[in-house]
Parts: sequence; C-alpha cells; structure tokens
Amino acid sequence: MSATHSNSAETIPVYDVRDVSYRYHQVRALDHLDLRVEAGRRVVLLGANGSGKSTLLRILNGLCFPDEGEVDFCGKPLTREGIESDGFGLEFRRRVGLVFQNPDVQLFCPTVFDEVAFGPLQLRWSEGEVRRRISETLEMMEITHLKDRSPHHLSMGEKKRVALASVLVLDPEILLLDEPTAALDPKSESHMIDFLVRSRGAGKTIVTTTHDLDIAEDIADDCFVFHEGSIVAGALPSQILSDVPLLKRTNLLHAHLHVHKSGEVHSHPHLHRHEE
Amino acid sequence: MHIPDGYLSPSTCAALYGGAAPFWYVALRKTRKLLFTRLVPLISVFAAFSFVIMMFNIPIPGGTTAHPLGVGIASIVLGPWVSMIALSAALFIQAVFFGDGGITTLGANCFNMAIVGSLVAYLAYRAMAGRSAITSSRRVVAASLSGYFAINAAALCAAVELGLQPHFFKSASGAPLYAPYSLGISIPAIMIGHMTFAGLAELVVSGGVVAYLQKANPSLLSFTGPGLPLGPAEGAVAASGSGWKAARPLWTAVALLLILTPLGLLAAGKAWGEWSVHDFSGAAARQEIARASRNVGPPSQAPSGLRRFSTVWTAPFPDYSPSFVRKPAFGYFLSAMFGTGIIILLSIFVSWLAAKARAEQAEQTREPRKRER
Amino acid sequence: MDALEHVFYAEEVARADGLLQRLDARVKLLGLLALILPAAAARRFVVLEGLFAVAVVLAALSRVSFGLLLKRVWIAVLLFTGVIALPAPFVTPGRAVYQLPWLGWPITAQGLESAGYLVLRVETAATLCVLLVLTTRWNHVLKALRVLRVPAVLVTILGMTYRYVFLVLQTAHDMFESRRSRMVGELTGGERRRVAASSAGVLMSKTVDLSSEVYLAMQSRGFRGDVYILDESRIQRFDWIMLAGFTLISAAAFWWGR
Repeated sequence: MSATHSNSAETIPVYDVRDVSYRYHQVRALDHLDLRVEAGRRVVLLGANGSGKSTLLRILNGLCFPDEGEVDFCGKPLTREGIESDGFGLEFRRRVGLVFQNPDVQLFCPTVFDEVAFGPLQLRWSEGEVRRRISETLEMMEITHLKDRSPHHLSMGEKKRVALASVLVLDPEILLLDEPTAALDPKSESHMIDFLVRSRGAGKTIVTTTHDLDIAEDIADDCFVFHEGSIVAGALPSQILSDVPLLKRTNLLHAHLHVHKSGEVHSHPHLHRHEE
Repeated sequence: MHIPDGYLSPSTCAALYGGAAPFWYVALRKTRKLLFTRLVPLISVFAAFSFVIMMFNIPIPGGTTAHPLGVGIASIVLGPWVSMIALSAALFIQAVFFGDGGITTLGANCFNMAIVGSLVAYLAYRAMAGRSAITSSRRVVAASLSGYFAINAAALCAAVELGLQPHFFKSASGAPLYAPYSLGISIPAIMIGHMTFAGLAELVVSGGVVAYLQKANPSLLSFTGPGLPLGPAEGAVAASGSGWKAARPLWTAVALLLILTPLGLLAAGKAWGEWSVHDFSGAAARQEIARASRNVGPPSQAPSGLRRFSTVWTAPFPDYSPSFVRKPAFGYFLSAMFGTGIIILLSIFVSWLAAKARAEQAEQTREPRKRER
Repeated sequence: MDALEHVFYAEEVARADGLLQRLDARVKLLGLLALILPAAAARRFVVLEGLFAVAVVLAALSRVSFGLLLKRVWIAVLLFTGVIALPAPFVTPGRAVYQLPWLGWPITAQGLESAGYLVLRVETAATLCVLLVLTTRWNHVLKALRVLRVPAVLVTILGMTYRYVFLVLQTAHDMFESRRSRMVGELTGGERRRVAASSAGVLMSKTVDLSSEVYLAMQSRGFRGDVYILDESRIQRFDWIMLAGFTLISAAAFWWGR
C-alpha cells in the first residue's frame, strides 16, 4: 500500500522506495514495501520489534541492498556501485547519517573524541576543520566533559548521545534514527525527545523508527505503520494514533493490567499520553 | 605458554621477530584481497574473543584447570591468515596492557601461538576433515584434533626456543644468561602440561564450538568447508595443482610427524605423570636433580637417595637410555627435525596459496558473490 | 571484573601530574624500548641493577605508588619467575657452593647466577612496561606505534580489539551469570566442559554478529578500508631532552653490559 502526502507531487522525494523485498537468513524482513519520504519532513515508522524497521533504515543508508524492488534517493537510484564510487559515495555518507539502535556497535573508537572524529576524518576534512567541528558538536550535545572517556565507561544515555554526536558532526541533511529512545533512562529519553521536537522545521529530513506510541505525535509530521515487512498505513500521527483496530492488529497497543485511581483493576487498550 | 621478557636472548628475539614478520606481511596482503574492509572489525572482535577465551579455565580430569588459546577455532572460522592477525592482536594487548608475555618476546609468542598455531590448526583441519559435509561429525573430530595439534605445536616451538638458550648463551663463568633449562628439560616440562591439560582444553573448545556452530550457524564454518567457495573455478585449480595437491595430505601428515615425534622420544619418562604439574618447574626439578648429581663433583659424592631416584626414573624404559638425552647433539637433532617439519609445512602452504591466487584471479573475472546483510 | 578495575586504575595514574605523564607517548614508547633492550641483552648484573634502579626512579618521579608496583609487578614476577627459576641453582652444571642439608642437593654458583639474571631481567622489563602503560592513556600508546611504522590499519585493529575486549568480557560474564543463576547444585567435570564448550560457541556467534554490525556502522560513517588517525600530541623540548636521556642511558647500558 503506498503512502504519499498531499501536494508534494512536484518536489522530488528524498526517498522513493518501490516494491522492495529483502530476505535475511530465510526470513522475509521486507515484503513488497513502498514508502515515500519528502524532504524536510519528520517521519516516524511505527512497528513492533522485529517488524523489519531496522532493515529498512539500513537500506535507506546504503548499507544493504534489496533483493527486489528499487530505492531512489533524491530522484536517482541508490545502488551498490553508486555507494562504492568515490564521488557519490562520500557525498552520500556526509548527507545521510544513521544512528544504530545498539550504540556499542557504533562506538568502536578508543575515546569519545576519536569517535566523533572518525566521520570527518574518513571524509578527508582538513585537521583544523575536523577539530573545530568536533568541539562544536561536543558542546551542542553537552558531552564535552566526556571527550577523553572510553565507551565502555559510559552509561546508556551517554552512549546514545555520543552516537548521535558522531553522526551530527557531519551535519547531515537526512537523519535516520533506529529506536533512539529504547533502553534510555527518563532524563536521557527526555533529552532525545527534546532534540527531535526542536528539529521541526529545521530543514532536516528525519526518519525515526520506534515502537513507542507515546512519543510519535511529538516527534513526527508523518507517521507510517510497519507490519510484517511492509507499510500498512500512512497518515498524520494523530490519525494513526486514534485508529485503535489498526494499532491492535499491528501489535503496537498496550493492553496490560493496570489499576485505576478508583481501585478498579482491569486491562483495556490505552496509550500513555497527554490529554490536552 | 606466553614467554616473558628475559627468557630469550636478544638474538633469539630478533630472529623470531624476523621469522614472524613475513607471515604478518603476507597475512595483511592476503586479507587485503579478501574483502578487507569487512575484516577489520571481524579481526578486532575475534581478537577480543580470543583474548577472553584465554581466560576460560576448563576443568580437566585430575581437578585442575587449563586454558585454551582459541587458535583452533580461529583458524577454522577465519582461515589461517586472518587468524594470525587476530591472535597476534590479542597477544599484543595481553603483553602490553596486561603483562602476560614480554615485549621483546612478542615476536616469539606471535610466531609460536599465532603463526605456527594457526597454520598447524588449519592444515590439520583441512587434511583431516577432507571433503566431508560441514555438519558431519568428522569435522568435529577434525576440529578437536587440530586444536590439540596446534596448541602442542606452539608449545613445542616455545619449548625448543627456551631449551636452546642455555646451549648458546652463557656468561663468562658458564651460567646461562636467559632461560636456564636445556632442551632435555624444557621440552618434556612444557609438553607434558600441554599434551595433557592445555591440549585438552583446546580440544574441548575447538570441537565444542564447531559442534555448536554446526547446529546454530553453519555458515561460519564455510570458509574452511569442503572446497573453497570458488564455484567452477575450483575445477581449474584442482587440475593445475594436481600431483602436488593430491599428495598434500600425505606431506602434511609427514610434516606433523616430524614435528611431533621428538615429543614421543622425550616423553619417555612415564614417571613424570605422577607429579601434579601446574607449571613446568615441578617436573624439571625432580629430573634434573638426578642429572645434576652426576655433572657436579665426583660421582662418589652422589647421595644414595639420588641414585635410587634415578633408577626409578629409568627402570620402566630401559631402552630409552637417559644418557642419550644429555648429549648436546640431541638438541640439534631435535631442532633439525623440527625445522624440516616446518619447512615442509611451509611448502605445502605456499603451493596452496599459489593455487588459491590463481583461482581468485579466475574468479575476479566473474561477478563475485558477496554476502549481503 | 579484574580487567576493568585494572584499567580504571591505569587511567587514574595517567591523569596524575608526574614526569612520565608529561611526556609524549611516542617518546615514552621509544624510551621504553631503549631501556628494555639493553636489559634483555646485558651480561652483567650491575647493568641490570642499574636499569632497574632507573625504572624505580622514573616510577617515583611519576607518582606511581610503590605499593602498586609491588603488588602488581614485583611480587607477581617473583612468584611466577621465581618458581620457574628455583630449580636452576640445583640443575645448572658448575661449581658447587653449597649443599642442602638433609637432601644433599648441591647448589652451583652458575645456577644462582642464572636464576638471578632471569629474575632481574623480568622484573626490570615488567616494571618498564607497566610504567608505560600506567602513565599513558591506552589509545595514545597505540597511536604511538605509528612511530615504529606500524600500519594505521593495525593500530585501528588493536584499538578496536582493546575496546571490544571489555564488551566481549561483559557478554561472557553475563552469560555465565545467567547460567549460574539457573543452576542448582554443582556440575560434574564433564558437564562443565560441555558448558564451557557451548558457551564458547555462543560467545563466538555473538562475536561474529557484533563484528558484522560494527562493520556496517563503520561503513555508515564513510569507512572504505583506509584508516585515518588524528595526531593529537606535539613533541616539545622536554620530550627531546628526555629522549636524549633515554638514548644515553641505553647506550651506556649496552656498552657496559656487553
């Protein structure tokens, strides 16, 4: 099912994913999936764990390539040869940044400073430029005090911040975030969400995957629902979040036992969210 | 069997760094050819894995524990060249940051454990596993034995290196300057522990991991699986290297025999088994006290207790006269055997490399089949 | 976990304000080698003792506590190498200087000499190495290898190995913990071997999975096989002076020890 947004037929979408399938160890991670991501929009991909969201992000980041179907990036096909080429490949790496769900995978350098330096160095920026950008980014993410620390000494919240910093240092136009708030303590989670909320209208295209319905409305302009390897719905966040049958069908809804103030104990589908 | 600083003379250290260097160089070149970028994190993580494996203590019958190297499993999963780099990296980290093994002797330790270990494990495994299916139990046996041979080959190298020190490097007054025990002591002392405890540990880990992977993740075993993943080009390789290739398992066996036979000769003293060996000094002391009494001072001085001791030691094996162990020439004989074995192994390896390089060239003209994730 | 604490402490000492801490890592690495090599080569006790004394002085000037050195290095080496060297006086042929009462085993001068060489060499080398590692941040130690012409990619591999040792240790630790908590009673030797083998297998699978993920992460930030390292430290006059000092001591030690 394709999901497009109103009047953007004239502008070239950042991503145009058509009928993409991907198999991983005999499992169909992506199954005839379609998706369009428009420039400058904040997009949330909702889906239960294991629904293929991470795989899609990797395809969007040119890290793996679909078995079937096509992916266009800013109007041109995204292919393995293109990524491996020097010109387009390096440009792409600068323009698109992916923050992995497990920060340990992304923090492979000896210190935080080295980690943030890795991207710019790989892109062959001059040393002065590299140092300047690093201190700016560390400042912005409020992790300057961590710059000489090793990754194994950091808390989960700190790791995620460093991981984000290591991507933001390149000032990418397109940001792909895989479950950014998963496993975070409340304070770190709030920071992350603040960051995403504040990016509205900043010109960046942000694609976030999450199974956390509570934050979807705040961090997204467009909302798509993932289920069993394909996108089954795409609309405004408020519309999606009120579509209870859809949420139940796609295993996104809480329905656990809880206690009401009155003392009554029961379970019914609910969202933990603000009532305006 | 990590050798610390001070046990090997500078010339020995230099020689072994020199011996290791070509292998490191070739290993880097080889890994460059095979999807090098992907191997950088794989090598690092595998090195970390091997480091941790060296901290695994496996209980052995008798109530002690021993620790494996992980070289068996590294060679089987990664192939010998990548295994060499991964293990060298682990050894480096251990030596510099954790004080396990010396800096001047890093070349020696890498040569013994990373290089000889990986080569022996790989060749033994390929020879014994043959073309059997990846999930066959023959592979588990082959893996176990390869791990066992590999760790013992490494231990033998270490023992020979240490044992040669007192022969060549003595102070003006005749005192050994570095490792003080000659081959007659160092070889049995080190090999006993490794042929039993450490060897068993490596055997258990190698076999156990391969068995586990056969069920859980057989693709990890495919790099050293039946035939290399070359497809049709492999036929061409087989045709071109025919005679030598067919005889290769035989030569491998011969080489391994040459390397391991000295063990058999020296391990003649069954009486050593009755000591609980945790490090080699135990066995060494007992044996050499008997010996020392004959070298030092007039024979009549030898206390009767010692004479009794030495009879106990020689009685079970009257044919393996202990005096033969003491001739300096024996040490040279051992090294020669060992050297020959290594040279044969190397030749086998070089021919295999050449064949593989030919095959790769053939493959590069077609679309390479890379694994996607 | 021991390894983690070990590292924590090292990072503290590296931050203290001592002589060695102020030196560039490359100078320290070269200096270490300059002192270890003559220690390995010396044929005279007095030279070894001199080099050991130099190491001790460097330690003192760098605020490295002797208690730490004693525990971590000196006693450990004495136990390990001492035990290995113990039979040497009995075993080495030469001039007998003493005979053990009771057993009558003779001790030779050459044997004592040999044991002495061994222990002193190892103590000196180990002290110097520990000094390098304690007074330098580990990533600087690795970057310093570039001065020895070690290829950048190897330095990167070593850095990643060090980093991931802790992750793999943690994973192994967690695996054992969870296994232990699900077990009642003691295991037999055979069972423990099986557990060890399958734990190694699981650990290895995770290891390989981890490396694949890391590879993707590296590619995602532009990695294409070449590695670029940022050189952070500058060599100053003090570094040159110390380097000259190390060279002098090294040359002297080589000369007198030959």
